[in-house]
Amino acid sequence: MTLAAATSGRTAVPARPRIAIVKFASCDGCQLTLLDLEDELLAIAERIDLVEFAEATSQRSSGPYDVLFVEGSVSTPEQAEEIVRLRAASTLLVTIGACATSGGIQALRNWADHDLVRAAVYPDPTMVDSLATATPIADHVAVDAEIRGCPISPAQLREFVTALLVGRRPGLPDEAVCAECKRRNIVCVAVARGITCLGPVTRTGCGALCPAYGRGCYGCFGPRESANGPGLARWLERDLPPADVARAFALFNAWSPPFRTVIDEAGGPPGPIDGRPTPEASDAHH
Amino acid sequence: MTTRPEPPVAHDDPPRFLPRAELDRLFGALRATGRTVIGPTIREQAVTYDQIDGTDDLPIGWTADTAPGTYRLTRNDGVRAFDYGIGPTAWKRYTHPPRIPLTVSAPSPVGPTVAPVTPDAPPLAFVGVRACELAALRIQERVMRAGPAGDVDHAARRDAALVVAVECAVAGSTCFCTSMGTGPEVGEGADIVLSELDEGFVVRAESGPGQVVVDALRVDAASDDQTGRATAQVAELRETMGDPVPTAGLPERLRAAIDHPHWAEIAERCLACTNCTLVCPTCFCTSVGVASDLDGQAATTDRTWDSCFSLGFGRVAGDANFRPRVADRYRQWLTHKFSTWWDQFGSSGCVGCGRCIAWCPVGIDVRAELLAVAPPHAPAGPIPWPVAPPDGHAPAPLATVEPARYVETEVTDVRRETNDTVTLRLATDDAALLAAQPGQFVMVAQPAQSAPPISISRILPDALELTIRHVGPATASLTAARPGGRFALRGPMGRPWPIDEARGRDVVIVAGGIGLAPLRPVLDAVLRDRPRFGAVRIFHGARTPADRLFVPELAALAGRVDVEFAEIVDRAGPDWFGRVGVVTQLFEHATWAGAGATAFICGPDRMMQATVRGLAAHGLSADRTWVTLERNMACGVGLCGHCQLGPYFVCRDGPVFSVAELGDAFTTEGL
Repeated sequence: MTLAAATSGRTAVPARPRIAIVKFASCDGCQLTLLDLEDELLAIAERIDLVEFAEATSQRSSGPYDVLFVEGSVSTPEQAEEIVRLRAASTLLVTIGACATSGGIQALRNWADHDLVRAAVYPDPTMVDSLATATPIADHVAVDAEIRGCPISPAQLREFVTALLVGRRPGLPDEAVCAECKRRNIVCVAVARGITCLGPVTRTGCGALCPAYGRGCYGCFGPRESANGPGLARWLERDLPPADVARAFALFNAWSPPFRTVIDEAGGPPGPIDGRPTPEASDAHH
Repeated sequence: MTTRPEPPVAHDDPPRFLPRAELDRLFGALRATGRTVIGPTIREQAVTYDQIDGTDDLPIGWTADTAPGTYRLTRNDGVRAFDYGIGPTAWKRYTHPPRIPLTVSAPSPVGPTVAPVTPDAPPLAFVGVRACELAALRIQERVMRAGPAGDVDHAARRDAALVVAVECAVAGSTCFCTSMGTGPEVGEGADIVLSELDEGFVVRAESGPGQVVVDALRVDAASDDQTGRATAQVAELRETMGDPVPTAGLPERLRAAIDHPHWAEIAERCLACTNCTLVCPTCFCTSVGVASDLDGQAATTDRTWDSCFSLGFGRVAGDANFRPRVADRYRQWLTHKFSTWWDQFGSSGCVGCGRCIAWCPVGIDVRAELLAVAPPHAPAGPIPWPVAPPDGHAPAPLATVEPARYVETEVTDVRRETNDTVTLRLATDDAALLAAQPGQFVMVAQPAQSAPPISISRILPDALELTIRHVGPATASLTAARPGGRFALRGPMGRPWPIDEARGRDVVIVAGGIGLAPLRPVLDAVLRDRPRFGAVRIFHGARTPADRLFVPELAALAGRVDVEFAEIVDRAGPDWFGRVGVVTQLFEHATWAGAGATAFICGPDRMMQATVRGLAAHGLSADRTWVTLERNMACGVGLCGHCQLGPYFVCRDGPVFSVAELGDAFTTEGL
């Protein structure tokens, strides 16, 4: 069932849907967002049956689930099998956060030599059974909806759950951050100050948080619809070396195709391939 | 060829002179009228239009350098307050705000009700409005008051604003008002006009409310020297600006460039980020968002700025999209600004302020793109749709601005047509709704849902019927309605089928799928008055036998001897003994002559295009071949911009069009 069907009122999500939140390779920050819905938390809790949510309850469930929220990327062989089992147990599968939707910051290792990366992180890498790549959930199973962000926004999570319960289309815009800057009357940091800003290619959802504080957008919500990463990169390269432009794209959503293209054209993320950051590479963008 | 703005209406009162040291008198006089003053001030390294208290907030001694993709605030250490050119804020922020509440739904004993929100329009004074910006206010006012129903929120805000224009003494490198005929001389529409000299301001009152403020300044008349220097400085500015955009014949040149390969080249650079449209002082497009509580009973809708550059803007039910490519969206924007705006509103949509050039994050310059797509020497190629001559544009008449009117109706009958389509009978005694004409549509409002446009499938003395297919959440709850359910309707809207034009002629009706629904009132009207029409031929196609609507009525048609009726399905089932194929097969080998006949066609785009070709082969003329189009009709009254198709708003100018009116707009992809 697609999200459109789920929110259409015909193939109805039950009045009190069974909902679970699970995680793969991630930091837990996105699922904690549910607890950030402080004012609405009790009302939502009455309307759903939260059968698994490790951050709030020790209760576990093997399914089935009406709605499964998945945080994190697939980084190990076990995870690659587990997500297939969970998909089969779920009516609606919704990825939450940059790791689940595009691979996350850990996907930077996808450009590096896997053994070198493991050797740089673990004293005895033979004990670590990881995959060579960290990949989004949609690379493994069908995904019905995405809630973007690093981390996701409480307002978008609330909107998604509300729309699901009411049976309407959730208002999760896929337009550029720029639209929100303009509506909020935030002066464009790229045009007025020459700051590197990923806003034109990044999906809104944060409320244009960074530009509101005079900083460029870091692309936390990943590529917007029609994201023209190469178009923005060509413009930035008038003033910056290609490695610096690639570095701007090589963050939480580096592995998403519109950003990956820019990084690939620069020969991969800047820095050595053994995964150990050099001092000059680690802080250049920020 | 540069043109000058229309000069303001001459006023008897001689210009006054406000010494620089006394400028705060102006702010005091404006506040004394109960207004909050909005004016130029420095924020976030730009000159923006925000609330200001007085002279100390003005950007005295500052200017700005602009170039494609660049704006830099710089000191000029002068004494002047208004030498900063054009910043990022357009005044539409205050007359057409980025977000306003539209409707509120609340629970009630008979179910939730939907009510429009009354606008809250604070009295404001705009200080520092440039000539181009004044032109933009006029243009946007024309848009927001165009028929059939003006925008009540805009009208309230514009009427509550007092405009203090300031004539430019400097121009940015991105300015081109001289080409667009909007400046640098201030044209009509201001209440007060200031010209800034080093020692102070020449002040002219240009309206009654403006005169009240000017009188309150209690300053002397300006000297001839002062007014002379004010006139000379703007004349000098005009000389230095030149004429960067050749506008002669531009609307026609752009129309002829609709298939130009340069659109795809621009799309390589364009980020479709929406910045150009949102800084543009005339762009007016909006979308409606829905918010609700967890029960969907208490809900609000709000209207936000949107842009033809966003993918969602061209999206319709079922997730089809009319402008999937960035090239489609750039073409829509540029041709609308400089060409089809003329057809819609009788002017250019561009005032030459240059914001779209400076605030494009990748420096795309409309002046250069216009030269590439529609160079001055371009031959006037075939024009893709018929238009009034350039000096004969006839935009829609200005409307009486009234709040949106929602009429509560009650479901009295529900008939399931197919597994995804139902016909609802909605009882009403509202005279306006019951006066609906065949081909018109209504917007159906429900709490916590968008309000989709639904064509009327039958007009009864005490009710309307709507035939609705489930394609998304809003139509889901409509198709799940039961007798006793209540829906608020807005309408009727749109241009009806020209049934009277068909009287005395042969009639051809071609319907595909759900397209039968808006044609059913045509059938009703023709059959009710059967002797007044010539031969009546009806051709109906459906995907499968199970997708046929109004099955008993189709059977009755098949039994009539006074109409020719034929059906066909794409895919047959075990119970189908009729024809299989596409609807054009029903008449392509027929021998009847169509010359002089009137055709009414509705169905999917490709079906309609094939049908039009097929009927043309029978001799039907394009100006008597009528189609009804689907677009994203979100407001229904030509104000939100979603349903534009070349020179038309489908909701306002259609949805019924003749093929002759549409021209290539009927078949051009991505328009």
